[in-house]
Amino acid sequence: MNRREAVKTTTAFLGGVLLTSNGLLVACARDTSNASGKILTVDDQSLIEEIADTLLPTTPASPGAKAAGAGAAINLLLTDCYEPDVQERVVNGLTEFRRTCDKRTGSSFASLPKNDREELLREIDLQAQKAGDAHYFGLVRELALRAYFSSEIGKTKALRFVLVPGKWVGCVPLSPGQPAWG
Amino acid sequence: MISPTRCSLTVPTRIFSLAANGSSRDPNPPSEKAFVTADVTSFDAIVIGSGISGGWAAKELCDKGLKTLVLERGRDVAHIKDYPTANLNPWELPHRGAMSRQQLKENPLISKAAGYGEDTAHFFIKDQDHPYVQEKPFDWIRGYQVGGKSLTWGRACQRWSKYEFTAPERQGYGMNWPIGYDDVAPWYSHVEKFIGVCGNRDGLAAMPDGEYLPPFDFNCVEKHLSEKVRAHYGNRYIVQGRWAHLSQPKEIHLQQGRGTCQARNLCMRGCPYGGYFSSNASTLPWAAKTGNLTIRPDSVVHSIIYDEAKGKATGVRVIDAHTHAVTEYHSRTIFVNASALNTNLILLNSTSRRFPNGLGNDTGLLGRYVCHHNYRAAANGKIAGFEDQYFYGRNPTECILANFRNLGKQDTDFVGGYTTFTGAYRERPEPADRVGGAYKDALAQPGPWGIYMYMQGETIPKQTNHVRLHSTMKDQWGIPLLVTSVHYDDNDEKMIRDWLAEAKQMLEVAGCHAVETRDNHQAPGLDIHEMGGARMGSDPKTSMLNEWNQLHACKNVFVTDGACMTSTGNQSPSILYMALTARAVNHAADEMAKQNL
Ligand SMILES: Cc1cc2nc3c(=O)[nH]c(=O)nc-3n(C[C@H](O)[C@H](O)[C@H](O)COP(=O)(O)OP(=O)(O)OC[C@H]3O[C@@H](n4cnc5c(N)ncnc54)[C@H](O)[C@@H]3O)c2cc1C
Repeated sequence: MNRREAVKTTTAFLGGVLLTSNGLLVACARDTSNASGKILTVDDQSLIEEIADTLLPTTPASPGAKAAGAGAAINLLLTDCYEPDVQERVVNGLTEFRRTCDKRTGSSFASLPKNDREELLREIDLQAQKAGDAHYFGLVRELALRAYFSSEIGKTKALRFVLVPGKWVGCVPLSPGQPAWG
Repeated sequence: MISPTRCSLTVPTRIFSLAANGSSRDPNPPSEKAFVTADVTSFDAIVIGSGISGGWAAKELCDKGLKTLVLERGRDVAHIKDYPTANLNPWELPHRGAMSRQQLKENPLISKAAGYGEDTAHFFIKDQDHPYVQEKPFDWIRGYQVGGKSLTWGRACQRWSKYEFTAPERQGYGMNWPIGYDDVAPWYSHVEKFIGVCGNRDGLAAMPDGEYLPPFDFNCVEKHLSEKVRAHYGNRYIVQGRWAHLSQPKEIHLQQGRGTCQARNLCMRGCPYGGYFSSNASTLPWAAKTGNLTIRPDSVVHSIIYDEAKGKATGVRVIDAHTHAVTEYHSRTIFVNASALNTNLILLNSTSRRFPNGLGNDTGLLGRYVCHHNYRAAANGKIAGFEDQYFYGRNPTECILANFRNLGKQDTDFVGGYTTFTGAYRERPEPADRVGGAYKDALAQPGPWGIYMYMQGETIPKQTNHVRLHSTMKDQWGIPLLVTSVHYDDNDEKMIRDWLAEAKQMLEVAGCHAVETRDNHQAPGLDIHEMGGARMGSDPKTSMLNEWNQLHACKNVFVTDGACMTSTGNQSPSILYMALTARAVNHAADEMAKQNL
């Protein structure tokens, strides 16, 4: 065994990859997905990228999810790595998200001002936290974080990934505001 | 099929140059199953398998001036050149490191292996290629290529204590080894100096000191953990990892073309710096430089040939992995290093009139007393404080809590001991507001510290835990499938319970909160420390191998991989395989010089 595995089982968050997934890294016998093409339509992909970019927007510290190409990465990961039932929950969830957004605001998510988008996500997130794992929004968040923090921007501009550290130093003071290692 | 000119004794000037003309590329393979026995297929020694132990056999044999043929069933993997993912950034991997659903579905078994992922999967077998029969659940993790599992191993390298060699008989759960710590100690040193092992000299009875390069530092929480546990218990020592890494290479390592470990902790992809020990980076190129090595990838050893008239083994039968053509190679001595269970398989499949039940198997013991390490229990906790402390780089080692159970005398309701691996890391923060710029920026900060622990427990060798050949089912090379019949027992359950309670308490002693413990109930085998089946012993009636790893009944065959293990101890086993291999080669060379072999 090695630490990579030990830490995986602790559902910790190491090396910038979220390891708390529901459908991830689980082998299963079912496969009903289309072999070619992606699970999310162009519309769904841009919607989930908008959501990701609202969760993780550009700040003075680092570019956000959209700049990191999160939409395409989410679509690829969802298509290739997640189980069909998880894919379905995300696709249906995005439909439900559109409905909720329309009901609350009367307009599309992308056209909302930033504050309204954030407010809507906070509201849905609260519902999701109450509903638990069955709610789609937990998955959407997971995908967003996963895609962003594994991207070049997420790993090097938000976090600090160094391919070749050159040495190990066990204990160094953390300077205020210093990002985590990627 | 290998034509005699290709398989000449001419020494390859570069390692694997012979392999470049490999049999699989022969445009006109002769008819299948044709046996060809040519003089040019004769060597002083044959080594079956090029992994951790086979690489060591090759190096030592070649250093002794013996013309050596290494037969490896898998493809060639040249150091650096064949590490396709070694220098990729995480975002350059197609799925950022995750396996696709399809690949996981096709490989439900091998994908359970620690560290298996998009960046490393090419160094593991594919399930469908290499079936076996699990009479009881057993995850058999394999890497079939030049270098074997030396490419992907975890690199922990503790020595056995003197207690581990004698505990089975002393505590009544097994048979004594024919050798003790003092017999192996100089060979440990010999191996440690060559492969490079970092670590601290801690002076512990449970884990003797070796020839160490400087250790990788504790991080601040690991230091705290070590101090707290030591202060509370008095006799529990959490020490720096003893790992096969060149923290500070010496001349002997530079001569191997290896350099300083860069603290990348991407080891399982193969290290372009040669920072950790693998056959590919170390023993095989070294052996090749002597001019005495021939190595043939894609060569599946079917069986060992026993000559009744001569009363000894005379060679091996090899099936070309691609053409399925059969060739025989001959040698004065044979080292079987195919990894524990494959070594059992080859010996069981080596039948003759003299040995109808497998080579050297006069007692029916071959394949019995298979054992493993108990990796079922793990724990973790969160710890407050130390927020202003961090680290630089990625530590490729883990801290080791030396065994404190049944050391020297029995003090629990189970027998055997356990080693614990542990370490501290920073989690990702969990900000209260989960939307927007502040959230994203907070997520990019180091979060609270956490500590993990997991166990590596000794298991009891039992006659009933065994492997055997399937009576009808065969693989694509016509070799019988292996049946595994290995399971846990009550002693394992007791040990797990004890470990879980102790780990929880130690984490709390260190000041952890939210401590969680779990039994993952994983099948035997997933520990990847499978051992036994051809155990060493003083008495040919109760063991397969003598004190020099020779088959009691066929002295020119040496078994020096995990198959030889009389008991499992609680240390990571591979460095013992290496030490026993070097020791056995030394004996073999002496005996050959005296014309005894
Ligand atoms: C993820 C992981 C982590 C590990 N961590 C550690 C650790 O920290 N410390 C430790 O001590 N050990 C560890 N191990 C175990 C270690 O890898 C093995 O103990 C070691 O590799 C065994 O050496 P070996 O030479 O017996 O077998 P291998 O290294 O597996 O080599 C055997 C070779 O024989 C070849 N072979 C098999 N059958 C045939 C045949 N019929 N004909 C020709 N060739 C054949 C195989 O293809 C292979 O190349 C770990 C393993 C893994 C995978």
